[in-house]
Order: sequence, then structure tokens, then C-alpha cells
Amino acid sequence: MVELKNASVTYSNGVRALEDVSLTVNDGEFAFVVGESGAGKSTLIKLLLREVESDLPEQGQKPSVVKVNGFDLNKLRPKEIPMLRRTIGFVFQDFKLIDNINVKENIAFVLRCVDAPEKYIRKRIYTIFGLLGMSEDKLKCYPHELSGGEQQRVAIARALVNDPQLIIADEPTGNLDPHTSLEIVRLLKDINKRGNTTVLMVTHEHSLVQKVGGRVINIRQGKVDFDGVI
Amino acid sequence: MSFASFCILTVSLLMIGFSLLFSANIDLMIGDIESKNEVIVFLEDDTTDEYIDEMKQKLKSTENVSSVVFYSKEEAFEDLKADMTDAEEIFSYLGDESPLPDAFKIKIDDLERMSSTLMIINGFEHIENVKAPYDFVNVLTGLQSVVTVVTVVLLTALLVVSLVIVTNTNHASVDFRKKEIHIMRFVGATNFFIKVPFFIEGFLLGLLSGGAALLITWLGYDRLVNVLSEETTLFSTLGISGFIPTSSFVTYAAILYLLAGTLFSSISTVISTQRYVKV
Repeated sequence: MVELKNASVTYSNGVRALEDVSLTVNDGEFAFVVGESGAGKSTLIKLLLREVESDLPEQGQKPSVVKVNGFDLNKLRPKEIPMLRRTIGFVFQDFKLIDNINVKENIAFVLRCVDAPEKYIRKRIYTIFGLLGMSEDKLKCYPHELSGGEQQRVAIARALVNDPQLIIADEPTGNLDPHTSLEIVRLLKDINKRGNTTVLMVTHEHSLVQKVGGRVINIRQGKVDFDGVI
Repeated sequence: MSFASFCILTVSLLMIGFSLLFSANIDLMIGDIESKNEVIVFLEDDTTDEYIDEMKQKLKSTENVSSVVFYSKEEAFEDLKADMTDAEEIFSYLGDESPLPDAFKIKIDDLERMSSTLMIINGFEHIENVKAPYDFVNVLTGLQSVVTVVTVVLLTALLVVSLVIVTNTNHASVDFRKKEIHIMRFVGATNFFIKVPFFIEGFLLGLLSGGAALLITWLGYDRLVNVLSEETTLFSTLGISGFIPTSSFVTYAAILYLLAGTLFSSISTVISTQRYVKV
């Protein structure tokens, strides 16, 4: 679950990227976060991952609330940040797969980072791969041997492998053709339905959002401009 | 990138090691020359044998005097004759009686305190004159101070420059793997988990570089000393007995290289990774 109340973010150069943002995304919900470039979408992601902190309240202002998966981010100590991030699966626009290791190792990499036992890692990789409907032959491939859509599927597998409560996909279709983009969104929707995983998909492709439909949070100039179902 | 770090670190260690060896050898040479210093204390003509014995004891017990040898006027006259073989005619006029005074040849421990030591000796009775190599001593002590200052400055500069170069090379090495670090951070790896592999890699790289530097120093220094030792005439003229033997410093060099190598590499790796693990 994501809960934001009166959250603002101002960077050290004085730019206010988010202003008084309030929104709630319940467990098991799927929501698109849309907005133009520079609207504040990336800052919202950074806030949820605790890469940036919300501003302290000014005089007369209500204090902000930033809660993600039960973690109160305003009270989170730096050494607790990894624990928060273990409850979030992140999908990058540019896939960010490690080039010199194969698909299997790319997915296992996440579990090794959180000290999961090897036996569990081996089992979990095949479970996730089966869930995404990918051929096991692909596990031995290196990222450059895969198509863009396949690479993004592997990136989604990597985000899912640690069984996160929330998946944040940052422009996951940005580097893909319209057909593959639709497949990826449907895959994320499927994951959301089957695993009851909350999904926040950040995109600026309005046509894609309109095609799929669902809850849309529109951010404009750092503020929530629209929050509803289309 | 690791190979580049290895080369840079090895060269840095070698520069530090060789500058230390150079300085230690200069110190040894100065020490050699210093040990050849001689002060001659001339006695008055009427000094009795009893007083000469007493004086010898007094000189021996004087602080900063390392050795005292009595040099009789007969001995001095014989030596003079032996040195000036073409002046037999002059010596025949002088007869067998030595015109030279009795003297003591003394050696000083710490040349920097020579003046104060000689002031004490000058205070003794029956001293005619004291002849000391003041200019030579001034040059030596000056040279020693310069060598010390240059070594300290050079070493400090080398340490700083080496650390900067090694850190920059490691920056490039860590930068090469920033995607991995980025993913690690996003999936909830702790800073400790992210840093440890780099730290271990840095430590092993330091060990390897230290080992390589030790081997190069061992073989290179040995060969250099062999070549220089052939110049025996020059060194014996200067009163230099030789160079520091490899066997006497190899243990210290091993400790220094391995310690400095692992420390340098580990510290610089931690500094390099630090900017990527900042929250």
C-alpha cells in the first residue's frame, strides 16, 4: 500500500518537483501514473523508494505522510532503506540487465543480494519464468541475444523474483514497439491480478493507457491533476 | 580495469620503496663519511707522561667522544717523513728530534654537537691547539638535514599522489560496474553487501601489487647495487664502504609493500564505491 499526504519535494537547487501530493494506492491495486516530462513522475518514484525525502512542513502546514508497504518513510533510518526496497520490485525503462551474465544469473542476482539460500534461488527462478510464460531455453541466453520485449520480460521477472508487495515500473514500454508495449502492460496487469501485487506503472504514453484502461493518476507541475478511472 | 589498478598501484609502491631505499643509502653513506671524522688535539711541549695518561682518561670519559688514540710526536715525525720522501734534505737539518707536538686523535659520535664537545676539551690544561674539520662537518650535517627534509616531502607527496591516482583508477573500475551497484541498491542490498566485494577485490589487488613491487625491488635493487659496487675507486675515495644489502631490508620491504598495498587499495576502493551507495 502507498499512502501520501501533503508530500512535497524540493531539490537543493530550489526546484519544487512535487507539491502537496496526496494519494492512496491500496494493496492489490493497479494504477498508471501519467504526466508530461518534468511533471514530477520520477521524483514521485524517488520519494517512494526513499531516494529523496519529503520536505519538512513549513509554519502552519500539516506534516506530510509518506508510507509504503507499512514503512513510514519520514521516520525511516538510512540503514532501514534496504528493508523497504526489498518489498518493492522495480522495472526500469532501459531494462538494466547485466550484460556479461545470462538471464538466469540476472534474475538470481536479486536474490543473492538479499542473501537468499541457493536452493531457494534455483527453485524460484523456474517458478517465476513459468509464471511469465517464457521458455526455459532463454535462461541461458545473454541479454544481447534477446529482443527488447524479451529483455523487459526478464526485467519484470527480476522485479518479481523477490516476491514484492509493490511493483514500480518506470516507463517500462518506453523502448518498445506498440505491440510489445501492450503485451508488457498486459503482463503487468496479469501479475497484479494473479499475485495480488500492487502495481504502479509510470508512463507518458496516453494512448496505451486509454487502450488498457484503469486507474490513472495524472501529475502536472508537481501536483496531482487527476486521479480516477478511465 | 583491475589490471590498470594493479599497474598503477605497483608503480606507486615502487616509487615509495625506492625513494625510501635511496634515502636510507644516502644516510648510510653520510654515516660512513661521518665515521671517518677526526679531531686532533695538540698538546703543549712540556706536558708530562703522567698528565698525558690522565688526559687520555679525561677524553675517553668526555661525552660524545667515541675513540681516543694517542699520537706521539715521534710517530707523527715518522709519518711526516714517510709522506714527504722528496724532502729528505730538510729533515736532515732537523736531526732525529721531532719538532712536532704530541697529540690525541679523537673521533666524535654526533657531529652536530661537535662544537660543544670541543669547547669542553679546550678547557683542559696543556692543550696547545685543537684541529677540527668544521667545514666538512657543516657540509655533512647540512646534507643530512637536506636529505631528511627531501625524503619527508617526497614521501608525503608520493603518498598523496599515489592515493589520488589509485583512487581515480578505482573510480573508473567501479564506474564500469555502476549498473550492478545501481541494481543492488534498488533491490535492497545493504551498503555493506555492496561494498564488501569491492573491498575484497581491492585487498587482493593490494596484496598482488605489494608482491610484485617486492619482487621488482628485490631483483632490481640487487642488480643496481652490483653495478654500482663495481665503481670501487670512487666510493673508497669518498670513504663509502658500500650499500645496504638486500637481505637486511627485505622483511621490512615485504611488510611495507603488503601493508601499504592492501591499505591503499582497500581505502581507495571504499572511497570509490562510497559515491554510488549514497542514499
